[in-house]
Amino acid sequence: MVKKIVVILVVLSIIWFVGSQLISQARQVGVNQGYEPDQPIAFSHKVHAGDNQVACLYCHVGADKGRHAGIPSANICMNCHGQIKTDSPEIKKIKIALEQKKPIEWLKVHRLPDFAYFNHSQHVTAGVNCQECHGEVQSMTRMRQEKPLTMGWCIDCHRAKGIVSPSGHPDIKTKNPKEIMKAVGGLDCAKCHY
Amino acid sequence: MSEKKYWKGPEELHGDPSFIEKKKQEFPEELPVFYQKEDLKLSASRRDFLKILGFSFAGSALAACTRMPVEKAIPYLVKPEEVTPGVANWYASACGGCAASCGILAKTRDGRPIKVEGNPEASLFGGGLCAVGQAHILSLYDDERLKGPLWQGQSVSWEKIDQEIKAKLAGAGRVILLTQTLTSSATRALIDEWKKQNPSLKGQWQLDAVTYEPMSLSALREACEKHFGVRVVPHYRLEESDVVLGLNCDFLGTWLSPVEFASAYSKRRRVRENNKENFLKHIQIETSLSLTGSNADQRIPIKPSEEAAVALAVLNELMKLAGQSSLSALPHSINAADIQSIAQQLWKHRGRSLVISGSQQIETQSFVLAINSLLGNIGTTVDLDNPSQQNQGDDRAVEEALKDMESGRVAAVIFYGTNPVYSHPEPERWIAVLKKVWSISLSDRLDETASLATAVCPDHHALESWNDAEPVAHHVVFQQPVIRPLRESRQAQESFLKWMGYEGNYYQYLKEYARSRYFSQQSGFLSFDAFWDHSIQQGVFETSESARKNYSFQGSLSEVVEQAKSQKALWALGMEVSFYEKIGVRDGRGANNPWLQELPDPVSKVSWDNYACVSPAQAKKMGLGEGDVVRLKDIEIPVHIQPGQAAGAISVAVGYGRTHVGRAGNGVGVNVSRLRSVHGGVVMSAGSVSLEKAGRTVELACTQLHHSMEGRDIVREVSLVDLAKASHEDHGKKEKLITLWDEKDKEGHAWSMAVDLTNCIGCSACVIGCQAENNVPVVGKDEVRRQREMHWIRIDRYFNGPEDNPQTVYQPMMCQHCGNAPCETVCPVLATVHSSDGLNQQVYNRCVGTRYCANNCPYKVRRFNWFDYAHNDSFNYNMNSDLGNMVLNPDIVVRMRGVMEKCSLCVQRIQEGKLAAKREGGPLKDGDIKLACEQSCPSQAIVFGDLKDPKSRISKLNQDKRHYHVLEELNVQPIVGYFSKVSERSSGGHS
Repeated sequence: MVKKIVVILVVLSIIWFVGSQLISQARQVGVNQGYEPDQPIAFSHKVHAGDNQVACLYCHVGADKGRHAGIPSANICMNCHGQIKTDSPEIKKIKIALEQKKPIEWLKVHRLPDFAYFNHSQHVTAGVNCQECHGEVQSMTRMRQEKPLTMGWCIDCHRAKGIVSPSGHPDIKTKNPKEIMKAVGGLDCAKCHY
Repeated sequence: MSEKKYWKGPEELHGDPSFIEKKKQEFPEELPVFYQKEDLKLSASRRDFLKILGFSFAGSALAACTRMPVEKAIPYLVKPEEVTPGVANWYASACGGCAASCGILAKTRDGRPIKVEGNPEASLFGGGLCAVGQAHILSLYDDERLKGPLWQGQSVSWEKIDQEIKAKLAGAGRVILLTQTLTSSATRALIDEWKKQNPSLKGQWQLDAVTYEPMSLSALREACEKHFGVRVVPHYRLEESDVVLGLNCDFLGTWLSPVEFASAYSKRRRVRENNKENFLKHIQIETSLSLTGSNADQRIPIKPSEEAAVALAVLNELMKLAGQSSLSALPHSINAADIQSIAQQLWKHRGRSLVISGSQQIETQSFVLAINSLLGNIGTTVDLDNPSQQNQGDDRAVEEALKDMESGRVAAVIFYGTNPVYSHPEPERWIAVLKKVWSISLSDRLDETASLATAVCPDHHALESWNDAEPVAHHVVFQQPVIRPLRESRQAQESFLKWMGYEGNYYQYLKEYARSRYFSQQSGFLSFDAFWDHSIQQGVFETSESARKNYSFQGSLSEVVEQAKSQKALWALGMEVSFYEKIGVRDGRGANNPWLQELPDPVSKVSWDNYACVSPAQAKKMGLGEGDVVRLKDIEIPVHIQPGQAAGAISVAVGYGRTHVGRAGNGVGVNVSRLRSVHGGVVMSAGSVSLEKAGRTVELACTQLHHSMEGRDIVREVSLVDLAKASHEDHGKKEKLITLWDEKDKEGHAWSMAVDLTNCIGCSACVIGCQAENNVPVVGKDEVRRQREMHWIRIDRYFNGPEDNPQTVYQPMMCQHCGNAPCETVCPVLATVHSSDGLNQQVYNRCVGTRYCANNCPYKVRRFNWFDYAHNDSFNYNMNSDLGNMVLNPDIVVRMRGVMEKCSLCVQRIQEGKLAAKREGGPLKDGDIKLACEQSCPSQAIVFGDLKDPKSRISKLNQDKRHYHVLEELNVQPIVGYFSKVSERSSGGHS
């Protein structure tokens, strides 16, 4: 009898262990947290954004204007690198790209699925720091996906912080971000999925 | 009003058993479930079960370990200053969909145009755009366009082909340039310059430009010349008319400038802006039930042979009223009282009435001009001083040119935008000519004519071209390219310049032309560059119109009557037939556009085909049923039983049966051009033909009998007289019905939309606007037959009254975004839920495809993705090619197989509008957000806005007595409402 109970317990615990592993694994499908690919040019955010304090928006020009922050075009690099470190082999790659008219094929690190709409500009204009979603970029030598970028992660942040601006809604007088979020239906599906 | 009985087709009116059977079924056909009895015996053992279990376990564990594939992000090398990835740029340009040349705004994302809309700056067109214009963008990404020039069928370089052509043209002798209608003044100037070239080569070089249009208005131009001394197509001023009589003229749908006419028409019939006193009365006399006729207050069907007689009868009646002696009458079937009442109404509004005819019978046009002249409309509503350039087709000149070619007096022929081998009544003559005359085609594809030409020099798409257009004198629209040419094509004008030996390109030529012609006509700008930049940016340049003069009518009318009497031969072949254009495919130029092919004709609701429209009485007499194939001369075509069709005459659409247009359009329908007769040098729009049964039946891809509304008062009508009465019944049931659901509180916005059925003319521009905006797939003829079309908005068409001449009401039907949505309560996975601002949201990534929601939807507006249209080779339309993909809106997801989709009330536009307001820090203003259907509507029947804003248009409109919800009794509380249709119709059908 005891033996039977032990066997049942062992089988149950194996099922529970494997099952929970499977579920947690399955929930990670498509989540690329920690992704840190080798890029065609060894660009370092640490040198630019960290050591030299170049503002994020200097290169990522779309971040306050539209949906995509954008990877800077080669001519933006050459604004400075026309003068600075022109002999570096990595800078030469940009120069060659420009001369040969061959665009640089960066590997995309932060990726959202097609069915989720995200707009950088509304977060940047609301005063969200880049680091809140992208991690301590200024200390990364190679770009890494720091946060999971899952829907749960988006929602958790919005639940905690709310929405700062009710602009466009004539009736909402409150200044409390959490109340604004409730009033404008910040967690509605079609805010991001359409 | 309420006693009117509405019906969608003859099957419903007569209670056809197959219709009743269909009506009972939720889904039009049973699901195909294939299994054999022995399959049901479970043969799997416990071991098999464990094996399968283990496999799926391991499989899912493996799947969990995979990473997403590597994706590249490739930025610009040097980013153009005006481009921000993900932000749309809008450019003003001119539409190339037809010769109406509407002003457009093209939306480009990251350098590629994805949508075109009407340009509100172009005062002529009112800011809307028709279905053809909006679908025109898809033709840009048509991968059947030629990749470069061809010389004798071989691919060559532009230098090589230019050399050859220049050598051939130099001193060649007489060259015919067969062009489409040229609304571009600069192009006409260029051709004139080309004609005058090489005066030293006298006799050896002669260029004759001839304009060819398959559906020309030759008779109208000739009549104008005969009676007023000016060879023009007048500009008709619908907005200044109080009564309009259309005589076989589909001016709201396909004729001359439909967007302009629809805009003017609706302005004069907009009751919601208290336009009750000068409501435009519309009478239509026609053969086939056209879109225009279906909107008329009074409609009378006639055979095409009676056209001239009817026009003469109206003229005679008016002459009586004017105290003049009338002409001898011709026999016709309309009763005298109707003619009298029409004449009296026209007479009452002398100078503010309008009679338009699209007839190719010159006698009819003569009578119509005489009517307008007698009524004093010349110089008021019929403007001969600022003529329309939108159809310059000259049949007589084409016939002469063809004869010259046949007799060997022509050395070469150049086809610019013309394809006579397909569209001419006598294609074999053209084929014979092309065998002996050396020819160049500027077609963008190897069409019927180009495939027989010596050289093919493919033209750009309109959205790749620089040009100007002057659709109506003094209204100039500029065309600018919105994308770099996708192919190695070259703009036709550029080719002409090359062959002329002009240094420089067409852009420079155009600029110089604008400097000499347009710049001098204005005083606002001192420098030409500033003027040019401003004009290109605005897209329009309008100067004050010439003063309208009254022209006195010349010529003897009794001669015309004699002429009309002698036209018996035209109708001798048995069945009378009239030729018309369908709303989508028109004259067949855009036949390879799958959006237009799949657009159901608003009147017949048939897509992907042309057919012979037969009146119900005629069909009964001849024992014809829907889809029965008949033989017209040697052409076999299916029959569509069309209520409202004149008895004793059939109507067939041109533009179908293309053989060399591309995979979407080849072999769709049949080419009926060969049935048209050339009469006195004019290609007739009506004639006669022998008709016999072919003895087989096909199934048309008809959307007519789907989604039956079970005889409830879905559409409501009120006459103008009743509306004025204080006792006029309130159409909205305002009393509160009991509901199980909690009242939802909308704190932020409360979106709402209203459609005014008075102004909806059924033109279907919204259907294509929605398709372009929302990445709606094309499913093809076979799937439409299974009622699986994917359009998010459909135009429901209801008839009421007698079958031989019913009244028609159109009702755009899209998701009603019910407050108590029946779809939401049945979704097991919460894939369709309500938003706080009142939208019924469909979340595709959550949907598992149970289709319970579609089952429970009272409006039947949900669409199920039966196939992966974007990746399935059976649906080889635009979504499956790299080029065709470029038209997709990147802000909207392309839905996968097995999910439900439906109108989202353009939530992406709502979000975009809110975001713009947020970035600018201001409140959202009424009208800032325009939905795709609302924006595209040429007659501005759709209004969208926020009910939380008491000053918004929609807040005021929702208080109106005419406002109602469809199926109000269900208490699903939709946020989309309708306005009952106001007309001057008598109840119970047309007289």
